[in-house]
Amino acid sequence: MAGLVVIGMAVFAFWQGADLPIGTLGGMGPGMLPRSLAVLLGLLGALLLVGAMFEAGVPLEPLSIRGPVLVLGAVVAFGLTVRPYGLIVAGPLAILISAFASEEVRWAETIVLGAIMTAFCIGLFKFALGLPIPLAPWLIGY
Amino acid sequence: MFDLVGNLALGFAVALSPMNLALAFLGCLVGTLIGVLPGVGPIATIAMLMPLTLKVDPTGALIMLAGIYYGAQYGGSTTAILINVPGEVTSVMTALDGHAMARNGQAGIALGMAAIASFFAGTVATLVIAAIGAPLTKLALLFGPAEYFGLMVLGLALAIVLARGSVLKAIIMVVFGLLLSTVGTDLETGQERLMLGIADLSDGIDFAVLAMGLFGIAEILRNLDNPEARNVVGGHVGRLLPSLMDLRRCFGPILRATGLGSVLGILPGNGAVLAPFASYTLEKKLADDPSRFGKGAIEGVAGPEAANNAGAQTAFIPLLTLGIPPNAVMALMVGAMTIHGIIPGPQIMIKQSNLFWGMIASMWIGNLMLLVINLPLVGLWVRLLKVPYRLMFTIILVFCCIGIYSINNNPSDVYFTAFFGLVGYVLIKLGLEPAPMLLGFVLGKLMEEKLRQALALSEGSFLTFVERPVSAGLLVIAFAIIIIAVLPAVNKKREAAFQSEM
Repeated sequence: MAGLVVIGMAVFAFWQGADLPIGTLGGMGPGMLPRSLAVLLGLLGALLLVGAMFEAGVPLEPLSIRGPVLVLGAVVAFGLTVRPYGLIVAGPLAILISAFASEEVRWAETIVLGAIMTAFCIGLFKFALGLPIPLAPWLIGY
Repeated sequence: MFDLVGNLALGFAVALSPMNLALAFLGCLVGTLIGVLPGVGPIATIAMLMPLTLKVDPTGALIMLAGIYYGAQYGGSTTAILINVPGEVTSVMTALDGHAMARNGQAGIALGMAAIASFFAGTVATLVIAAIGAPLTKLALLFGPAEYFGLMVLGLALAIVLARGSVLKAIIMVVFGLLLSTVGTDLETGQERLMLGIADLSDGIDFAVLAMGLFGIAEILRNLDNPEARNVVGGHVGRLLPSLMDLRRCFGPILRATGLGSVLGILPGNGAVLAPFASYTLEKKLADDPSRFGKGAIEGVAGPEAANNAGAQTAFIPLLTLGIPPNAVMALMVGAMTIHGIIPGPQIMIKQSNLFWGMIASMWIGNLMLLVINLPLVGLWVRLLKVPYRLMFTIILVFCCIGIYSINNNPSDVYFTAFFGLVGYVLIKLGLEPAPMLLGFVLGKLMEEKLRQALALSEGSFLTFVERPVSAGLLVIAFAIIIIAVLPAVNKKREAAFQSEM
């Protein structure tokens, strides 16, 4: 399984780098290293695949869906909202979304935490450290 | 010798200025605060806190970052002792006996001993850096591209051997890391490579983004899959100061571990990872009654902690003298230096001796501060660790987001972090360890540059690497290490060693 994924990555990298000039050994072009690394990666992946066929495979740990989707969703939501709406929106939003990644989520607790954390981060990053992170541009202009 | 004293005096003059003292203190404090959080190792901590140093002058920024690093390192040991969740590989050994001591009601003594051992090791390691920094810098100036290339190959070979799991998988991860490092604008021709048409990738993948994704976000995802089995040691931490007998018993182990750690830390390729493990094994062999180990032997805390700290510090040597980051933490330091316009390498010591010696002196001060900060604050850390993970991870996540956003004020960095978090999660599930990949990525750009330079000088002949004795020697050692690791007999032993570590 890991072998297949590795080969897949190698093929993808090779395809993406296929139109780069290789140059010569004395004056290597930009494409030489990516392409030789992709070939190497593909070979190693094949080796892993062949090796895996001959021994009893360890069963894969199941991939969960809920955790990754919500946690990554929270990160993306933060990225989407931080510029236009500022930390005042992005902070609680990220906390709210990610909190649901855990099965023990509790509403009230999460909302309180979101509020406290956002206030704390504003105090720390904006005022104590003076980072240029937007607070609430739609409300107070910065 | 006289030089050394003069240089250290200069260093202390820089490091003891009120501003730099305050920065070192702040760095240690917030580093410990974040490092104590379970599942947040030094790499994620530094990536998260890097923006804190943006507004400070370069010397101060590096002093503060170094403080964050020691703080995070020590915070990881605290977590290992109190709740048996080592933040990263280097505190795995501490968790064994440290947590056992904590269960016996001796949490305080374990923490105190860890702090004392770390302080002693840190002091010695600082002297080691001061003593061999200058000669090594002179040596580094003699290195040509072929020698640098050989040294980096050796580093990668060591990283492969030191990784957990199969050697083949570790090699794959290194190659994958090298491949990722080629993303972005080509160094010489300015041509865009492997960018998938994403303009934000033209400067390549930001190292902090990659590290945060692989070690911050992916770690959260993994922890969510394993429902928490934490048992915070009850309210009483107990006495902090070890008794005289404990101290006497630990004196030998600390001394040996400091030696081991200092030597292993200098190796390129994350040799420091090996240090606590080597020290633990050594002490267990030397002990009168090896069966005590694993059940709360204080030597089993003192040794690995001293080795860990000594190695963490001497890892600065390859960075400061050769400009080669030996591990991911040092690569983050390179990132921070570059932001401040400092190019790591032999030139630092010559042209910016204030910065170089100031940083070295601040290492010792940082270690002293850790001792002063941590012992009184242990109670606070214990309380912090009682916060349930379902709340903790959201907090960690928001810190990650703000940290990454603030480095470049660019929302796309946040998206890339999420992407690499997913990549890291899938890799962990496939049994592919991300650590060697990170080192491959770190060394990739530099290796490509040196490889091209060397080949351009030799007009395309690979013989240049073999004809030059130093680079030939380094390459031979690198291949020998890999071949030895793959040999069936050694391989079995290696697997057994990592098994017992788990």
